[in-house]
Amino acid sequence: MSEIIYLTDVAVITCIVDKERTDAVLLAARDVGARGAIVHTAKSWGTRERLGVWGVAVETEKDVINFMVSSDQQDLIFDAIYLAADLNAPGRGVMFISPVDRAATYVPEALRKRLHVDPE
Amino acid sequence: MAQIPFSDYLSARRALKNEVSVNLLTKLPDFDADGKPIPVEWAPMRFTTTEVLRLIQPYVSTRFMDQVRAVVPLALYLALFQLLILNQVVKDSLLITGGLFAVIIGLMIFMEGLARGLMPFGEIIGSTLPRKSPLPVVLFITLLLGIGVTFAEPAIGALQAAGQNISVERAPYLYALLNDWAGTLVLVVGASVGLAAVLGTVRFLYGWSLKPLIYLALAPVLALTVYCANDPDLRNTLGLAWDAGAVTTGPVTVPLVLSLGIGIAAAAGKSDSGLSGFGIVTLASLFPILGVMLLTVYVASTVTPAEIIEAARLAASTAQDVQLPWYERSPGAEIVLGIRAILPLVIFLFLVLKVVLRDRLPNTGEILYGIGLTIIGMCIFNVGLTYGLSKLGGNAGGMVPAAFMEIGGIANSPMYVYGVGLVIALAFAWFLGFGATVAEPALNALGVTAEELTEGVFKKKTLINAVSVGVACGIALGLAKLIFDLPLVWLIIPGYLAAIVLTMFSSETFVNVAWDSAGVTTGPITVPLVLAMGIGFGNATNAVEGFGILCMASIGPIITVMITGLWARFQANRQVRAAKHETVISKEREVQAIL
Repeated sequence: MSEIIYLTDVAVITCIVDKERTDAVLLAARDVGARGAIVHTAKSWGTRERLGVWGVAVETEKDVINFMVSSDQQDLIFDAIYLAADLNAPGRGVMFISPVDRAATYVPEALRKRLHVDPE
Repeated sequence: MAQIPFSDYLSARRALKNEVSVNLLTKLPDFDADGKPIPVEWAPMRFTTTEVLRLIQPYVSTRFMDQVRAVVPLALYLALFQLLILNQVVKDSLLITGGLFAVIIGLMIFMEGLARGLMPFGEIIGSTLPRKSPLPVVLFITLLLGIGVTFAEPAIGALQAAGQNISVERAPYLYALLNDWAGTLVLVVGASVGLAAVLGTVRFLYGWSLKPLIYLALAPVLALTVYCANDPDLRNTLGLAWDAGAVTTGPVTVPLVLSLGIGIAAAAGKSDSGLSGFGIVTLASLFPILGVMLLTVYVASTVTPAEIIEAARLAASTAQDVQLPWYERSPGAEIVLGIRAILPLVIFLFLVLKVVLRDRLPNTGEILYGIGLTIIGMCIFNVGLTYGLSKLGGNAGGMVPAAFMEIGGIANSPMYVYGVGLVIALAFAWFLGFGATVAEPALNALGVTAEELTEGVFKKKTLINAVSVGVACGIALGLAKLIFDLPLVWLIIPGYLAAIVLTMFSSETFVNVAWDSAGVTTGPITVPLVLAMGIGFGNATNAVEGFGILCMASIGPIITVMITGLWARFQANRQVRAAKHETVISKEREVQAIL
């Protein structure tokens, strides 16, 4: 039981958006198959300063949203989030995919049986 | 925003996919002779018009919608009530719509400016001043700040505007206070707010309980009220004095004074426990009442009613021939008023920063942008106040009595049987109060704090409902006061005595939340609307003055929140007792089962 099951073919999608867009992003990602997400509150720096007078329109209070997804899902979810996050405008945020070497978490009993990964 | 079906997007994805190396977008620094990097200079970004619009659109629209949500439902309620129940078309509806639009735009700009300019400015001073200066200096600056923020409060303009409709013959002292002494009046109210801020801060520093402070503050207030009520000339000014307390605690005063108070507490090594902000708001709504009453007594000792009436007649006769200069006529007057409200506060904050702190302003550009917005927003709001909120409230107030009594100029009034019409008028006031309060954002924030402080015993929704019901009942009672021409003392003294009794029995947390909820509910939209409605109503029913509704709206929630608090505690206790009882029974059963 105490054995670790390594999960492979994992990627993390990180999406940094305005607070108001967070819910839209979470819903869009869920609809295309994301299992869950972690939302961090953050304060951004950079674009606002470089925009000059228009900088006032840029929200510096952002949310950083992390999705752990499979490598098969990643492109689909990435594109869906991009549209939902409304990143297609100046100062609205940024997103990226990071490959993950391995992950580990609790794997339910039924799944273990189905995947034949139980030590027995 | 263009909408593309996601399936189309997916099928076109391969074609859309462009890849650009970020290496092309970045710069490597050059190195000087010593091998140190030379800071990279970025050229400012250039945008096309469409890009700028995409950037600005969400920034403006979210802030615009915030104010639309606050103003439109209330305005619609008033208009539909007149249309459907009273069968009256809203007078000057175009002008009022324009005015309300100005209120929305003005408040939007004002609030944004507050968040970008005055608030960061206040926070800098709040966090550095208490560490750099001795306590007496800090408290003195708090006092002055109280005066400054009172002038900058949007709702104060409504109090000054209300003075024009007072009949000088019937209420000479009230007329004098709102016209000849208007500047002094705001100054006194401001000084009272400043004193309240000082006392509230000291209270927090030394951890005093709020209860004795409330008793100590209420004793002279109630005593002076009784004194004024027994003087036939002073009686009419009581409504104004009590309403002044409700006007002061708005969107400028509360955060600015609190940021200084919390800064002082933090410098003294006390962390922000959540209760720190409380109390200041309570005292800031009690002290102005005392201040205005003292001013009234002072005015009464210097001039007689006959002199005031004479002076008013003289002013009225000369005013008709002389064309007023642009800055005393609307809309010039509103703009001057707006600048005069904000600029002194800004200059004061700036002086404190330069002279006392010897500090420089960070983000100067942005803070100046915010201050500029605050002034522009205040000017637009003031114009909207005159043409929109005050007119709408005044019209509605003048119209509603037609439900139960004969009003000149309104056909087939009274429209309903006396009893039915009376119920309609009171129900109108009740729902107006409830609707205006439920949507108040400041109340939502208080609800969250209350839920945290009481560890969930007092739900956010419970508080919002309790306060809204309190305000609704208060406004309905205030209207009843105007209809039956009841003396305000009869309502205030029992109300506050009940509040005192409830305060004795309630826990410290509930006392803090309840007394603060009174100040939180009266925002920049409710105050002018209710004030104007009261005065319009008073004129229509031939009452001497239309004040007193707002102060009833303050005492209402204090009582309802404390009752709800006591009830919640009673319920919690009963559940605990029931749970204990049950465990005893089940243990007995176990014993029996074993035997």
